[in-house]
Amino acid sequence: MPLLRRVLVVAMLFAVAARAQEFSEAAPAGHLSAAALLERGLPARAEALSGAAIATRWHGLAEIETRALAAAIGVRALRIAVGASQTGETDLGWSQVALGVGGASDRGGAALRGSARRRLLAAGDDGIGGEVGAGAWVAASPDLVVWASAPQLWTRGDPPPLERWLEIGARFERPEAQLWLSRAASPGAPHGLRAEHLGGLLLPAGPAAVWIEGRDHPARGTLGLAVAAGRLRVSAAVEGHPVLGETVRMELAWGERPWW
Amino acid sequence: MLPMRIHRAPVAALLLLGHIGLARAESCAPPLHPRIAEVFYDAAGDDTGHEFVELFNSYGVTLGLTGARLEAGDGSAPGRWTLRWTGGIGDSIAPGARFVIGGALLPAPPQALVTLDLQNGPDAVRMVWPDGAVEVVGYGALEFPEYACGSPAPDVASGQSLARVPDDADGGANAFDFRAAPPSPGHANQRQRDLAWLAGSVRLAAPVVRAGTAALIQGTLENRGAESLAAGSCAWSVREAGDTLTLAGGILASSLAAAETASVAAVIHGLPEGRHRLLLAASAPGDEAAENDVDSLWVRVGLGPLQLTEIQFHPAGGEGEWVEVVNASSTPLELATFGFADRGEHPGRIAAARLEPESLAVLAQDRAALLARFPGLDSTRVLGVSPWPTLNNSDDDHHIADVASLIEAEGTFSDQVPYSAAGVAAGVPLERDFTGHWGPATVTSGTPLEPPRPRASVPGRFQIEPHRLLAGAEARLSWDLPWPRARVSCALYDLGGRPRGVVLPATEVSGRGEQRWLPSELSAGLYLLVLEARAPNGEGSLAVTRPLRVEAR
Repeated sequence: MPLLRRVLVVAMLFAVAARAQEFSEAAPAGHLSAAALLERGLPARAEALSGAAIATRWHGLAEIETRALAAAIGVRALRIAVGASQTGETDLGWSQVALGVGGASDRGGAALRGSARRRLLAAGDDGIGGEVGAGAWVAASPDLVVWASAPQLWTRGDPPPLERWLEIGARFERPEAQLWLSRAASPGAPHGLRAEHLGGLLLPAGPAAVWIEGRDHPARGTLGLAVAAGRLRVSAAVEGHPVLGETVRMELAWGERPWW
Repeated sequence: MLPMRIHRAPVAALLLLGHIGLARAESCAPPLHPRIAEVFYDAAGDDTGHEFVELFNSYGVTLGLTGARLEAGDGSAPGRWTLRWTGGIGDSIAPGARFVIGGALLPAPPQALVTLDLQNGPDAVRMVWPDGAVEVVGYGALEFPEYACGSPAPDVASGQSLARVPDDADGGANAFDFRAAPPSPGHANQRQRDLAWLAGSVRLAAPVVRAGTAALIQGTLENRGAESLAAGSCAWSVREAGDTLTLAGGILASSLAAAETASVAAVIHGLPEGRHRLLLAASAPGDEAAENDVDSLWVRVGLGPLQLTEIQFHPAGGEGEWVEVVNASSTPLELATFGFADRGEHPGRIAAARLEPESLAVLAQDRAALLARFPGLDSTRVLGVSPWPTLNNSDDDHHIADVASLIEAEGTFSDQVPYSAAGVAAGVPLERDFTGHWGPATVTSGTPLEPPRPRASVPGRFQIEPHRLLAGAEARLSWDLPWPRARVSCALYDLGGRPRGVVLPATEVSGRGEQRWLPSELSAGLYLLVLEARAPNGEGSLAVTRPLRVEAR
């Protein structure tokens, strides 16, 4: 599909925003799963009943740890996911419920995702906020998947803790390795910075896989490791930052086939 | 050109009069004429009415003054002599008597009332006698020889007179015959027996006497008489003005020859807090000059009413140096009665203002610049000091950079703070906290006209207050680092780790301090502030991250 590829390439050049949050998995960028449906509106390919438990420690800060549960079901082309998360125990924290609805096949998928947050405001009131976004992916060829996600197309009420705009990416998948690239806009970035870029490589090794990702502005790297047994998967990823502490993600997922 | 030395007296006349000074070849005083015994040309303050020239008849006969001329010489150029007085018919001096030509404000009316308007040295006076004899007395570093006889006498300090000591001295040069002495118009310049306090010698060993500590007073006794004073005959004592109780005293164990001095020291315990005027008395049997037997000294025990609370000795924002002061008394203070000084102790005058009790004022090197730097200050409490005593920024061998002092009208120290600049980052003033301890200010640029900010503990080295901030509101960043000073920077990131701005550029700061920060153009969300600090000697570094929630208004 040369036309589609050209469209995606142009879209990547003009993309303006995005990076994950509560349902961000210990998985390569652009991965399709129950959590990805909630987080980015990217539905899974396969019909399955799946779920995931995710824990994230942001930049080494214990006060803003996130714990999330996600569950999804796929019936024919319909994909539905629900999830809940809690970030932080102090007055900086918030809780969230999320819903994702969409459709998918082997050739592509699209979905709407939305979430509602609640937190305690400084004034003592509850802060309620919500957001709705969308995502889509296309198998441009048997080896190439491209995706786009705009998770905060519409927001209302208490603003989200992190602005996320448009992210767009492509993945080249072969049995011996996977490569991916993405571009995400950077809201409010200084010095004329408009986007951050990400590139990654995954190497399967039987029931396990290891992946690395690199990101710019500032230069950061992620090392991930996943081990699957049947439809059970355990994965972990550590993202280093030149100034901030490390962000660590742990995930236990079931019901999905391994990505590799 | 007038002769400098006159030797015209007939030897026969001298023999007739039995004068002992028989034709000394190098005499500056013409024989058979009264000689100039004392010149008082620089009174403390306004000279008018206080100046005098004293003539002394050391001969055994009465000497006439009719037609004698007293002239003043301006040593800046040759030939500048101007008449000040001419002896009238009947003016004369009895044997051993004195004749004072001077102003109306002398302790006793002079024989000739004249406003002399003498100049401070290097200058001269001279007597021109009707027979052509001339006696010149020059003082100061004179350039032209006509203004002195031999080497000129020293230029004396304000308040001192130029006196011939002893009264019949005739050593052949003004420098040999005259010296500084307390003015004594109409009296002998040197008594036979005279124990006195050396002028300016009575002082405190340490200018500030802390409450509960002893005051150490030092002074020097001087035998101004012609006779020696025997060992054990000279006594001194210290008492407070208005009180008869002797606080300290002693007796000189050794004899004191003429012109000899002896140092004494008094340790006075138990002086209550406040200001005291102490009188130091000296006594010797047969002392002929009671007027120089007592000297006085103001002593402040404890802190005075005006105290220093903040010292900005190395401003970084162009505001000039400044200090903050507080009226710690219960009554209003007129600040113009105080001076501000550095270690040089030459106080600059504070502009006139009334400071209410417990109120703060700022003394500024550059008042306009300070108000420009801190536009919110109450300008009526920002006062200039003239001249400003520039404060040093670097320590000496004793680890003291300078000494900031507030000095009262009597010369006592209302407050004095020696400070060290070591470890104090540029631009950060020193501030006195509620416990009285001095240290780098908690706010980097200082808190002029504000009380010291309590030094709240800073858990985890770095804190943000509040950590939930309404958009557009101000946050306070405080740090407590394990080094006395450090180079710090503070950057802002969003939760995704993306840089969102610089909060504090790399800056030298004190190990403990704070910085106000007004986030601008920052949307609501969760952010991370990272304080990175590095010890100046490179011995350590740290980075602390704190989350900050910015809430929409």
